[in-house]
Amino acid sequence: MIDSRLFKLPGIMGRAIVIAVLMFIQAIMVVIQARFLSQAVVNLWNLKPVGTIVTPTLIFIVSFLARHLLGVFQQRTFYPFVEKTSGKMRSDLMTKLFRLGPSVVEKAGTGSVVTMALEGIDKVQTYLMLIIIKMMDMSITPWIILIYIAFLQWKSALFLLVIYPVIILFMVILGLAAQSKADQQYAGYQHLSNNFVDTLRGLPTLKQLGLSKRYADNVYHVSEDYRKETMATLRVAMTSTFALDFFTTLSIAVVAVFLGFDLLDGNIALLPALTILTLAPDYFLPIRNFANDYHATLNGKNALQSVLDVLEMSEIDDRKALTDGQWRADSHLKFDDVSFTYDNMKTPTLKHLNFEVTGNTKVGIIGTSGSGKSTLINLIGGFLAPDEAGDMTLNGQSLPHLGQDAWQANQFYIPQNPYLFHDTLAKNVAFYVPSATRDAIEQACAKAGLTEWITSLPDGLDTMIGEGSRGVSGGQAQRIALARAFLDSSRRVLLFDEPTAHLDIETEAALKQDMLPLMDDHLVFFATHRLHWINQMDYVLVMEHGELVEQGTPSELSQHDGAYTRLRAEMGGAK
Amino acid sequence: MIRQMRETFAHDTWVMPYLRKYKWLLTLVLFLGSMTFLSAGALMFNSGYLISEAARRPGNIIYIYVPVVLARAFGIARPAFRYAERLTSHNWVLRIVSDFRKKLYQAVENKAMAIKQTHQTGDILSILAEDIDHIENLYLRTVFPMVIGWVLYLFIVIGVGVFNWAVALLLLILLGVIVMIMPMISVAVNGAREFKEKQIQHDFYTNLTDEVLGLSDWVISGRYDDFMDLQTKPIKQIAKLRREDHFFQWWRGFGVQVFFLLAVLTLLIWSGFQFTGSKAQANWIAAFALALFPIIEPFLEISQGASEWPIYQQSIRRVNDLSADPEVLTNQSDLKSDFAQLDVDHVTFHYEDDDRVILHDLSLHINTGEKLALLGPSGTGKSTLLKLLLGDERATSGQVTVNGQDIATLQNARASLFGVLDQQSYLFDTTVMNNVRLGNLNATDEQVKAAIKAVELEPLIQSLPNGYDTQVQESGARFSGGERQRLSLARILLQDAPIIILDEPTVSLDPITEKDLLDTVFSVLKDKTIIWVTHHLAGVDHVDQVRFLENGVFDMQGTPDALYQNEARFRRLYDLDRGK
Repeated sequence: MIDSRLFKLPGIMGRAIVIAVLMFIQAIMVVIQARFLSQAVVNLWNLKPVGTIVTPTLIFIVSFLARHLLGVFQQRTFYPFVEKTSGKMRSDLMTKLFRLGPSVVEKAGTGSVVTMALEGIDKVQTYLMLIIIKMMDMSITPWIILIYIAFLQWKSALFLLVIYPVIILFMVILGLAAQSKADQQYAGYQHLSNNFVDTLRGLPTLKQLGLSKRYADNVYHVSEDYRKETMATLRVAMTSTFALDFFTTLSIAVVAVFLGFDLLDGNIALLPALTILTLAPDYFLPIRNFANDYHATLNGKNALQSVLDVLEMSEIDDRKALTDGQWRADSHLKFDDVSFTYDNMKTPTLKHLNFEVTGNTKVGIIGTSGSGKSTLINLIGGFLAPDEAGDMTLNGQSLPHLGQDAWQANQFYIPQNPYLFHDTLAKNVAFYVPSATRDAIEQACAKAGLTEWITSLPDGLDTMIGEGSRGVSGGQAQRIALARAFLDSSRRVLLFDEPTAHLDIETEAALKQDMLPLMDDHLVFFATHRLHWINQMDYVLVMEHGELVEQGTPSELSQHDGAYTRLRAEMGGAK
Repeated sequence: MIRQMRETFAHDTWVMPYLRKYKWLLTLVLFLGSMTFLSAGALMFNSGYLISEAARRPGNIIYIYVPVVLARAFGIARPAFRYAERLTSHNWVLRIVSDFRKKLYQAVENKAMAIKQTHQTGDILSILAEDIDHIENLYLRTVFPMVIGWVLYLFIVIGVGVFNWAVALLLLILLGVIVMIMPMISVAVNGAREFKEKQIQHDFYTNLTDEVLGLSDWVISGRYDDFMDLQTKPIKQIAKLRREDHFFQWWRGFGVQVFFLLAVLTLLIWSGFQFTGSKAQANWIAAFALALFPIIEPFLEISQGASEWPIYQQSIRRVNDLSADPEVLTNQSDLKSDFAQLDVDHVTFHYEDDDRVILHDLSLHINTGEKLALLGPSGTGKSTLLKLLLGDERATSGQVTVNGQDIATLQNARASLFGVLDQQSYLFDTTVMNNVRLGNLNATDEQVKAAIKAVELEPLIQSLPNGYDTQVQESGARFSGGERQRLSLARILLQDAPIIILDEPTVSLDPITEKDLLDTVFSVLKDKTIIWVTHHLAGVDHVDQVRFLENGVFDMQGTPDALYQNEARFRRLYDLDRGK
């Protein structure tokens, strides 16, 4: 129910103490309220004139209002803390994302990262709001009430005291078992509703197979089967609520009956008896409230846990180690026995890579899927850190990893599907140089071969593109990425990860013509399985199962019968 | 507001019909819910009377015997009713969900096409699935508590009215504020706010997704401050709205308590006048003073439920918009003879809402067993042509025919005419066996296994611990891209349709996997007619004719050999594709 890291949140203890004080006063108000309402009733019961109840009734009114005002005050006192904490958590999370980079997102999935930053934090907010106040309520209010009742009649107090752990015990016995089933069921429900969405997404396939009409009944039956299963579990799960309800309500009834008999025997007067009866529901109220919010609290706790887990993830540090990040004609990058292992993997994905490049070289990286091409590009780009520090040398400086600000400020990364932001075309092109002039943007677009397309757009450079806006074909997206690179001529390192594999052959051929000029005077790493690109490379790295099996100029490699010629033959296909 | 509500339900087919369909179960839920709180009230009422009577020390236990028994009865009745109510209401809602799912499925099915739409559809589907959850909550969080609250309200007013109509009138007003006025204010104030919050949140969501998807660009660009700034504004807006929302809720809760207090005082003072005639009468005072307290709980829920209404309203509207009348297919017939030829006859096409002509006077003739490759840059109408072939779209002018019969009249026979293998054919989250069998539900296990063997997956599947019963997992995640395509191919083999449409089936595969898959495809489908949309020329030697579609017309066509001999452009592309 409670993550111990909760108490380490800055400022939480101070607020909790304020809440405790308010809660204490509130509990006293609850007692006063019950006492004076009973007083008024008893006066009337004694057939005293209505005038005699004015004072007790006024006290009742004041304490009733004070009780609920205090409730509002508790929330108001605590809310700014919750707002600040969850707000900070959200921005910490964003900062963390920025620091951890895309590899984390890739692993966790875009959807879950976004959900965590939005709904996750919202749930944390609800959780923080609930947990402290409810915990305080449970640990203060019942006991103040109980002490007062003990003061009136120790027997009732003893009964209420004894029944409390019994209720908790039954809640634990019935509750935990049933609740864990309910939690499973809840997970099952999520699964089903995902599955339903999946079915909807698979509709084109069902339509192709001529099954789509018939499948409607299947959808219904799956859902109905699920309902029957759920109800079976719910019957058990709800027993815990029933137990709580049963014991608290019955306890009140029992207290009433006891009091009745005591009154009959003259062991107690009506006033204390009525006060006890009025207080009994309030004694059980905190635990009932707590149980009511069980699911919200549980969700919140899980959300807090996963947020804190991300915040505590280790990020690449030492980002400022590199002093000379410039790439010039005489610059030098060296990999000396570099290996890389993913966190959750036993064997390394990249094994003992050795190579060096000097100046503006165009380096092709080829290999089959899964050979480690993309991982290598990620290492060079600094999105991943190698297993051992010091294996990489840049401009003569030995580095723990290439996640160096000075190095990243010098590079471009162009993946298979360059991301287009939901913004105007001009702003997309100027993403790396937000201050670029309109002229410069237009020139960059011209170099990237976009001009003709732009004139066909309704608002030219100001057309909105990206998700939910105008569709941009794969070839045009690549050209926009090129325009970004043309616009920022200060970045001298270009990383390409399979930029044209998904394009149709004509688009690829045309794009190649515009891409090649950009590559001149740059250090280029170009991972691809489209072989024609290799003809334009100065140097080739051949990857196989995470190993660098061959390297050299294309002509050198084609001279002898090695991995390179073998791969070319396999990929070349028939004829 | 009332008008808004009426508008929402004017053409409603999602909420009202189900209230009617399951009206008895619904009545039961409401009865049990009301009884829960009535029992709770009765328990306090009875206990108040019990101890008052006992305090008179009647001398014989028999005088308090009935209230003693009743106290225990009500003490047990409340949790029992509650238990029953929760079970019944959940059962009811889950039952409706089954209906909803089927209904939503059918609504979407009406509009679905066999050729993939934009990837955005996925998000819309999730939204719709969420809408169903919203309507579920509408019942559980708004409708049930509200109706139960009203039943209790009427019960109290009528109960008191039996004794004194003036006091009943006063309670009618005081409690009326709680169960009528406050919910209305909630909808007006808080509802608008929650609606606005949802909208900001939606924008925020879009922004954030945009940022996360483009994270590598953000990181490399080093624009940390801009990255953070983008979030600041919506976060602040939402925080402000939510703060107001909370404050409103707290004070509204307090307001409910104040009116509740007034109601309690009314009862107290009234009973002070009404029941002070004799000692026996005075025993009722405590009963009336205490009875109201347990009933505050449902009253507090009413306003909260009401303020959630605008969210539900949006969902109801969205699903109602969706369920337009299904298109009725007329004049359907079967193919009269075995498939012989497919013709596209001077077809011109543009979408109804767009004047841009996508296909311009296109003609194509394919005989049975022929294999055609179709190339062209994206956006030139390849997908549109496929939709026309399948009959998902109708030509603006011209006609698509099979054996001379208009394709529009063959829609019911479609699955026996066409098999489709697209970029990522869908695998459902079930076993390998079930997935492949979807091609032909009547296929025997042996036939399914034979199909899997034909697509060369037999060794792989048999090597898995669960063999043919292996779960493919969501979207077939258990298998690689090439393996998924092979499973889909096995499905098509079972389907055994004469015409196979291949819609860029290898676009996401590496060249070696691609080559192997194409070899398998063309060997197992060697007797079929194939229309193959492809993005490059790998494997093009498998086909009889190649056509390049550009700007809605075929601008290059012929056999691969002839094109290589005669067309410099084709030769250049072909060589490029082979790495020259």
